[in-house]
Amino acid sequence: MKRLGVLLFIMSSFVCGIVCADLARAETLELGVPLPLTGTQAKFGEMEKRAYEIAMEEMNAKGGIKGKTVVLNFEDSQGKPEISRAIAEKLIDVKKQPVIFGDYSSACSKAIAAVANERKVPYLVVTGADDSITQQGWDYVFRLNPTNAYYPTGMISFLNQVVKPTSIAILHESSDFGTSGADAMEKAAGKNGMQVLLKEKYEKGAVDFKPILTKVKALKPDVIYMVSYVMDAALLMNQIKELRIDAKLFAGGGAGHALPEFIHTAKDAAEYVVVATLWSPQVKYTGAKELAEKYKAQFSEEAGYHAAEAYSALYIVKDAIERAKSMEPADIQVAMKATKLMTAFGPIHFEDKDGYKNQNFMETLVLQVLNGKHETIWPQNEASAKYVFPIPKWRDRK
Amino acid sequence: MKKYLPLIVLILLAVMPLAGLAGLLSSYILHMIILVIMWSVVGMAWNLLAGYCGQVSFGHAAFFGVGAYTAGILHSHLNLSPWWGIPASIVVVGLFSLLLGLIVLRLRGPFFALATLAMGEVMRISSENLDWLTGGNLGITLQRTWVDKTNYYYIILAIAVAAFLVVKYLMRSKIGYYFVAIREDQDAAESLGINTTLYKTIALCISGALTGVAGAFYTNYMGYIEPSVVFALHDISIVAIMTVMVGGVATFFGPFVGAIIMVLLAEVVRSIPYLGAAHLTFFGILLILIIIFLPNGIVGDFQKIKRIFGAGGAGK
Repeated sequence: MKRLGVLLFIMSSFVCGIVCADLARAETLELGVPLPLTGTQAKFGEMEKRAYEIAMEEMNAKGGIKGKTVVLNFEDSQGKPEISRAIAEKLIDVKKQPVIFGDYSSACSKAIAAVANERKVPYLVVTGADDSITQQGWDYVFRLNPTNAYYPTGMISFLNQVVKPTSIAILHESSDFGTSGADAMEKAAGKNGMQVLLKEKYEKGAVDFKPILTKVKALKPDVIYMVSYVMDAALLMNQIKELRIDAKLFAGGGAGHALPEFIHTAKDAAEYVVVATLWSPQVKYTGAKELAEKYKAQFSEEAGYHAAEAYSALYIVKDAIERAKSMEPADIQVAMKATKLMTAFGPIHFEDKDGYKNQNFMETLVLQVLNGKHETIWPQNEASAKYVFPIPKWRDRK
Repeated sequence: MKKYLPLIVLILLAVMPLAGLAGLLSSYILHMIILVIMWSVVGMAWNLLAGYCGQVSFGHAAFFGVGAYTAGILHSHLNLSPWWGIPASIVVVGLFSLLLGLIVLRLRGPFFALATLAMGEVMRISSENLDWLTGGNLGITLQRTWVDKTNYYYIILAIAVAAFLVVKYLMRSKIGYYFVAIREDQDAAESLGINTTLYKTIALCISGALTGVAGAFYTNYMGYIEPSVVFALHDISIVAIMTVMVGGVATFFGPFVGAIIMVLLAEVVRSIPYLGAAHLTFFGILLILIIIFLPNGIVGDFQKIKRIFGAGGAGK
């Protein structure tokens, strides 16, 4: 009997703990945000958390959302889909939150999207780039970032108009991000008359790329296109330099090569590398420059596109809540669908086309590392510096 | 009293969703409970192989993942309901374990553990690269059958009860004694005429099949699988071990108690405002304390806990 009593006590105290943990406050608008704050994706979660906080402070200084002070509660999803799902369930059921946004990886975003659509609560995907998320026909799932298939569009036009390559080698890391990015490039390259000489996957966290790179060197491609995260991006360029592989162009497909850490780690091997990205601090959208300056002042680090996405996400949510007829999820969904908002990330407008639903489409940029800094070089009307092409061979560099 | 405890717990669990109708249980809490039960199934499976038979595996993610992919592939390639994955995974994962056993059961102790660790990783990397079969890193997405969780709850509860009965029946039978004999001293068991290879293979197959069923359930429940999620070393293989270590190795209820701590307590701690940010630290300390002071786990060292809290007198 005693054991049973103890067991019952433990179980009931858990339930009480969960229920009592949230006592809503009146004048504030509390929004829970799932983000990976620990684990392998924590770096990206941290960048987004900072940007959300900047946006929150700006809003609260100007009267919050509908006069209510915004309070963001960050919930650590650890990059695990079942925990992301638990957070989504909690936000919907326990917190009665009428709109959800956040999380980082495609796998976690997918887990939340499925729950949100089933429970008819709008969910704004902020960074998950896997195409299938907005291809399910889900009415309640919106995405502000362009999908993986659209990442290389800016890069392709740069290649076609400036580099005019005939062959390409594609290296990518083995996550869904790396795989779908590489697939998108392979298709685009085929359409634009480039021969794909090699498409090779490497394990997440790999450190020795020389076996793959020796193969690449033998094939002599015009362009080496890499879809990588931070460490592998830097290691790849370092080892390319060590092996003296001279391609016409070294290109990155977002994420790793676009982060400031890439330049810090790869040092001069990073020079002249071009990278497809969604945003840079030099874009001319209103608010972009201010965000970049604030971010740099507070965290002494350049703001990347993840920061811009998160920062803008909160403004999109604010805009939708303010235009919605009520705080009901269904009304916010209607308002979200009608979004036409200029943000620091760019113009946001959710469209249904090409098999996507509620997807924001936008032009992607190309950056180049010039004098140890990412400069926007393409499209030319957004450029902050003139591109350098052809790039010098390794032995001609100092 | 003690005899009826499992029955009482089971009845409580069975009527719990009815309380949900009265609005006491939100879908969030039900989600956590489903995860607890799912993890106790994986824990029971691991316990059978490692706790009773003494073959410590670091690669249960291999079985979990193969089960999950059995359900996923049935859906994506044969257009069958992924629920067929549950019976199918018993067969598929059973056979897979048999093949695996042919290789890894030749090894003993730490070598066996390392071989299983490698198997888990081999399966992950294979599934990442067999694009035509598994969809590679993009994984498999499927539509979930129900929005309401009550059905999922009863299904996983039924699986857990079945797994519990299988383990209990085995351990009460002659085979169970063979398992324990192998754990205590394999050479002595061999010299007494026990076909150790055969019984180790039986333990591996049953343990694998039970884990595989949990994996197939995961596919149905989450609606999305990818190699780095279902073949994860940290998030599946290690959690399976921790569940049993915390709850109690070679006990019937250990995996269940362990799952409550590993899933429910982790979630509650994570949700505490402000302190939640340090949840991993807190959890790490808790695990260290349990391993140092309760080496047999909470259930295994229950008498000790009773003594510590001064309630020992009332017991036997």
